[in-house]
Amino acid sequence: MIQGVSAPGRDAARVPWRSVASVAGLLIVWEASARAHLTPVLFLPPVSDVVDQLWRSTADGTLARDLFLSLGRAFSGLALGTVAGVMLGLLMARNRVIEWLADPLVALGFPSPKIAFIPIFILWFGIASLSKILLVAFACIFPVIIGTYNAARSVNRLFLWSAMSLGSGRTSLFAHVILPACYPRIFTTFRIAVPVGLITTFTAEMVAGGGGMGATLIYSQRFFESPTVFAYILVMLGVGLVLDAAVRKFQRHFLNWAEEAGA
Amino acid sequence: MGRAVPLVLFAAVWQLVVSSGLINREFLPPPTAVAVAFADLFTGGDIAKNLFVTLFRAGAGLLIGAACGVWIGAMMARSQHFKDYVMPIVGGTYSLPKSALIPLFALWFGIGNVTAIAAVFLACLLPMIVNTYHGVTTTPKVLVWSAQALGTARREVWSRVYLRNALPDIFTGLRIALGFSFVLAISAEMIASTNGIGKLIFMYGENGTYDYMFAAIACVVVVAFFADRGLLLVTRRLLGWHESAVADHERRRA
Repeated sequence: MIQGVSAPGRDAARVPWRSVASVAGLLIVWEASARAHLTPVLFLPPVSDVVDQLWRSTADGTLARDLFLSLGRAFSGLALGTVAGVMLGLLMARNRVIEWLADPLVALGFPSPKIAFIPIFILWFGIASLSKILLVAFACIFPVIIGTYNAARSVNRLFLWSAMSLGSGRTSLFAHVILPACYPRIFTTFRIAVPVGLITTFTAEMVAGGGGMGATLIYSQRFFESPTVFAYILVMLGVGLVLDAAVRKFQRHFLNWAEEAGA
Repeated sequence: MGRAVPLVLFAAVWQLVVSSGLINREFLPPPTAVAVAFADLFTGGDIAKNLFVTLFRAGAGLLIGAACGVWIGAMMARSQHFKDYVMPIVGGTYSLPKSALIPLFALWFGIGNVTAIAAVFLACLLPMIVNTYHGVTTTPKVLVWSAQALGTARREVWSRVYLRNALPDIFTGLRIALGFSFVLAISAEMIASTNGIGKLIFMYGENGTYDYMFAAIACVVVVAFFADRGLLLVTRRLLGWHESAVADHERRRA
């Protein structure tokens, strides 16, 4: 996520001792202060207890079940929001009437905190997965619409004219010229949408229950099972890191033509 | 002003589907009922009181987060050692869904102001760090050399060259942080609070007073919209000198 912060090639081989030291130091201080009872165990369980709990949750399958449920919701919503957002963005960019109609709604919806809408989604779609998936889609759709719209508006006119003069129809113009030209920008907004989808899923589960990582997290907190709280937060952190790395790798792999093409 | 026409159309369609019985008004209260509830909430002071609480939490977290974020970001750009120490923690928490920490903060600080402000603070901190760092490290060397050659003191180089060069990035971060501040404040209120607009929305939902629930949500949407536009306006005012910043925000405008 953090551009330009990663070490340049020259330093790649160097072991970042200070980084290792700061993480290790943090863990040691945490473990020591918990063991020495400087802080109540309820507030800060020792690292070893957290790792132990993490192992137990993994072994009895609750963690895997919660994780799959949450990720399933997050990705369903993300897919729905991305597909719908790309279509809407393209339509807005190519059609004056749709643009006029949708623009104020998008402008109003984009900065709004989508989590505030959760009671409406519960009212309409119940407290099971559907309401969460749709809320995630609703949260992800706005950045995707705006990204696609801006990308489609700035497609090089020469590409369009060349394709048209070579006899492209409306659909093939969309499918073979406009959409591919938008891929890099769409992907950039997708990268923004992934964490939004995760946050929305976890928060919705915390607020509305219905199983998943967020629901288990909030139940553990209510029953003061601190090791579980910490273990689940660590897993969420891991999920965030892994997904971000995966998306970046995908981008480097499949969209490496973008910069060379000067899109 | 012409941009409001589609919104009026939208409300008209909404009114039509409800009053024609196409959609049960239990599920979707008509805009007229929502408007009445809206007026009632404002005259009754329910919204004003809770909205003020939420804005205080979001604002306090945003201010502290922004101040600390700019400081940490600048320090990271300034000192390689500091960066090495802080980097794994910043990089690690950057991808963490910040709302996951709300239960933990509720455990530590109880329910109410501190939990909400802490969550907002953390969510605002990271985009500010990253953007400030980026802004400072992309300062053209020529500007720094020129300032030094003209005898600018070290401290002055920071305030007048590095930080000023980072200002457009800092404002970009601030806009992201502003969005986060509302999301986190409302999430924290829904999960661990007894007041605030997030709690109010949730309460109306549980009581089944849906016209009031819609009115409160509409209120949040309007406030978030004007806060965002207000920040854009200030950005454009302050960064009028910065050609690309203005163009950048124009482009990003929906």
